[in-house]
Amino acid sequence: MQSINLHLKILIAILVSLGLLITGYQIYVLEIPLKEDETDDIWSLDARFEFQATAGVPIKAQMFIPQLNQDYISLNESFISNNYGVSINQVDGNRRVTWSARRASGPQTLYYRLVLTKRYSDETAAVPPPAPRVPIVLEGPEQIAADALINPIRQHSADIETFITEAIRRVNDITDDNVQLLLGGQTSPLDKARVIDILLSQARIPLELVHTVRLEATANQEPELWLRSHNGERWLYFHPETGQQGIPENRMVWWIGDNPMYSLEGGRQGRVNVTINNSEMNALRLAKMSTDNGSSALLEYSLYGLPLHAQQVYRVMIMIPVGVLVILVLRNLIGIQTLGTFTPVLISLAFRETQVGWGIALFTLITALGLSLRSYLEHLKLQMLPRLSIVLTFVVIVIAAISLFSHKLGIERALSVSLFPMVILTMTIERLSINWEERGGGHSFKVAVGTIIAATLAHLLMSVPVLAYFFFTFPAILLVLVGFMLAMGRYRGYRLTELMRFKALTKQG
Amino acid sequence: MLLWNTWKALKANGVMGINRRNADYVLKYNKRHLYPVVDDKILTKERAIAAGINVPELYGIIETEKDIDRFQKIVAPYRDFVVKPAQGAGGDGILVIADRFEGRYRTVSGKIISYEEIEHQISSILSGLYSLGGHRDRVLIEYRVTPDPIFKSISYEGVPDIRIIVLMGYPVMAMLRLPTRQSGGKANLHQGAIGVGVDLTTGVTLKGTWLNSKITKHPDTTNPVDGVQLPDWDGFMRLATSCYELSGLGYIGVDLVLDEEKGPLILELNARPGLNIQIANDAGLTHRCHKVEHHIAALKKEGRLETVEERMAFSQRHFGQPVPAATTPSEPSEPA
Repeated sequence: MQSINLHLKILIAILVSLGLLITGYQIYVLEIPLKEDETDDIWSLDARFEFQATAGVPIKAQMFIPQLNQDYISLNESFISNNYGVSINQVDGNRRVTWSARRASGPQTLYYRLVLTKRYSDETAAVPPPAPRVPIVLEGPEQIAADALINPIRQHSADIETFITEAIRRVNDITDDNVQLLLGGQTSPLDKARVIDILLSQARIPLELVHTVRLEATANQEPELWLRSHNGERWLYFHPETGQQGIPENRMVWWIGDNPMYSLEGGRQGRVNVTINNSEMNALRLAKMSTDNGSSALLEYSLYGLPLHAQQVYRVMIMIPVGVLVILVLRNLIGIQTLGTFTPVLISLAFRETQVGWGIALFTLITALGLSLRSYLEHLKLQMLPRLSIVLTFVVIVIAAISLFSHKLGIERALSVSLFPMVILTMTIERLSINWEERGGGHSFKVAVGTIIAATLAHLLMSVPVLAYFFFTFPAILLVLVGFMLAMGRYRGYRLTELMRFKALTKQG
Repeated sequence: MLLWNTWKALKANGVMGINRRNADYVLKYNKRHLYPVVDDKILTKERAIAAGINVPELYGIIETEKDIDRFQKIVAPYRDFVVKPAQGAGGDGILVIADRFEGRYRTVSGKIISYEEIEHQISSILSGLYSLGGHRDRVLIEYRVTPDPIFKSISYEGVPDIRIIVLMGYPVMAMLRLPTRQSGGKANLHQGAIGVGVDLTTGVTLKGTWLNSKITKHPDTTNPVDGVQLPDWDGFMRLATSCYELSGLGYIGVDLVLDEEKGPLILELNARPGLNIQIANDAGLTHRCHKVEHHIAALKKEGRLETVEERMAFSQRHFGQPVPAATTPSEPSEPA
């Protein structure tokens, strides 16, 4: 016996930990949302490219668009343009879309839309570090000014990071003569970035200009310029004016380099307007969409991989063990008497069709009618099989009649009773009536009420959407249930009702 | 909190719950393949006869609808008899014919019924109406037990029977079941019969239980149920004890009756005996069962088995009233 107990304990431990491990893996590693209505932010980036076409000239409009292999994953990318050919190519680490048309006239509008989300992305795609660079060759006074700036920077810095910070600080001090000379009177961020680039190139420090947008619902957002350098391990981001180091989480790179965002041939008054919108989307659908896009196969081997109609069946089926667990607890821990072991579960499944209130009403009505018929048949002294057949036929007739009446009365709900399993009802009637004869009316009433209570509880628990989702998404949790059931199999304590039953034995003597 | 106190008190008194009975006794000691021996009364009877154990005499068996014609022939030599489903439960479907009356039959309760009604009853039994799980069944026709007059004053109609729980061949608790008006002459506690505890040593009745509460008087005859000496108690004990060899089941309830002429007879065996016997005896089963299990473990070490007489003596030595509580540890470890 002890070896069995040990065996059982090990088995329970294995099952429970296996179930928890798989579920934990799904939750923490695969990041499958815990709740069905969990939502994620999705961002849609709209770039509207407007210009006036010059009549009689072929048009070629080019615009940088974001790389797709960033921290975010794209769900959808679209180019909307009438009568324009669209092509995308890679240019110096950037993606660029080219719209082209033989002829057009008047105002033109081209749209680009990218929908992306933060979730479910794999680790950041590694951008290869830039190659060591050669100093930009300067002439005469500019070389002197650059040297004059670099020397103090070098003295005030310890590494690439501090060197860049110091350079940015100095370049932004436009009262400095050397800086003024290099800027040549311009003070736009792009010019400052250019000067910073010159200075860093003298120290052979790589530098890239990155144009970023902020993922925030804003209309008409101007891409912001940031600088980034590579310290051999990772990219370091700097703001060219404030010197702020580290890029905010919600900024994403649109394009790299000092080229303007767009270029236009055969048109004028070009203007790009970037609008960013935020919306929320069901996390699970999002996960599925990103799976479709091939970026992760996390749901491939879950029940979501099944065809949709099969999923519907499994959504119900996977909850049956939960219903059975309810019956188990009610019978072995509480001590409620039910008709048969799994009849309540079957009835609770029938409640799915009718909803609880109607279900109980119909169940009670049909069972009561069936019982009265059964007690009448008792006088006729029929054999079992013919008797059961009569009761079944009667049940069908009653169900049909109820449906007809309720339909005439305009209560569509009761129509669903046609799916109320007739065989279950027939067997319930038969067993109740046998119970009635063997144990008396009081007992069979108790059993019937116990069955209804158990069925109702099982149904209520089985139809909690959160639970249904949880079990369907994390089926491994069923192993934990099995562990509990195993433990219940050796439970030897009292049932709640036994505490009442044996109350007389608590008083000594 | 109140429930928790009840729980602790019950545990301290060694009261056995259904879960414990099933897990530690029924599932552990009763091999599934031996169940037919107790579920089928015909099999039980055949085994008992082969082992020389007293049972009500078997008049005949009806196995098919065609056999029903043989009924008249089977009962021809007898004025009174009992018609029973072989696999019935809870005493249902049993027809007790006490006498004949102008070509018809009179039941114990005085009702006159025709041959056709008996025929229908037999047909119902055969179709499985009363059997466990609705299987086809057999009908047995047997000797009608006439209860010993000792029970007249504390019984209402019907036949009182004695239930003895036997663990591995050691009787651990006994109860006398007395039909009442409410139980309709049936000796079934669920239907309202009274259970009266019996001292295993002496066979003297103790206080009783009726519908889960303790009583001292029979509700119909108002005579006290305690202090009655059951005749031939050792005979009862011997029969019950030998049922272990008969059935091979380690945890059974043996139902016996006391016939006016033939003395103690075995009626049937039950592989899942009820727990109300504890209320009737005002004692828990767990302590007694543990005592037996320890005794068996000790014997096993010595490598010997006890005979029926020795086992009977052990039970009578230890399970008289009151059970000395001091010798039974509250929660002994399970014997291996």
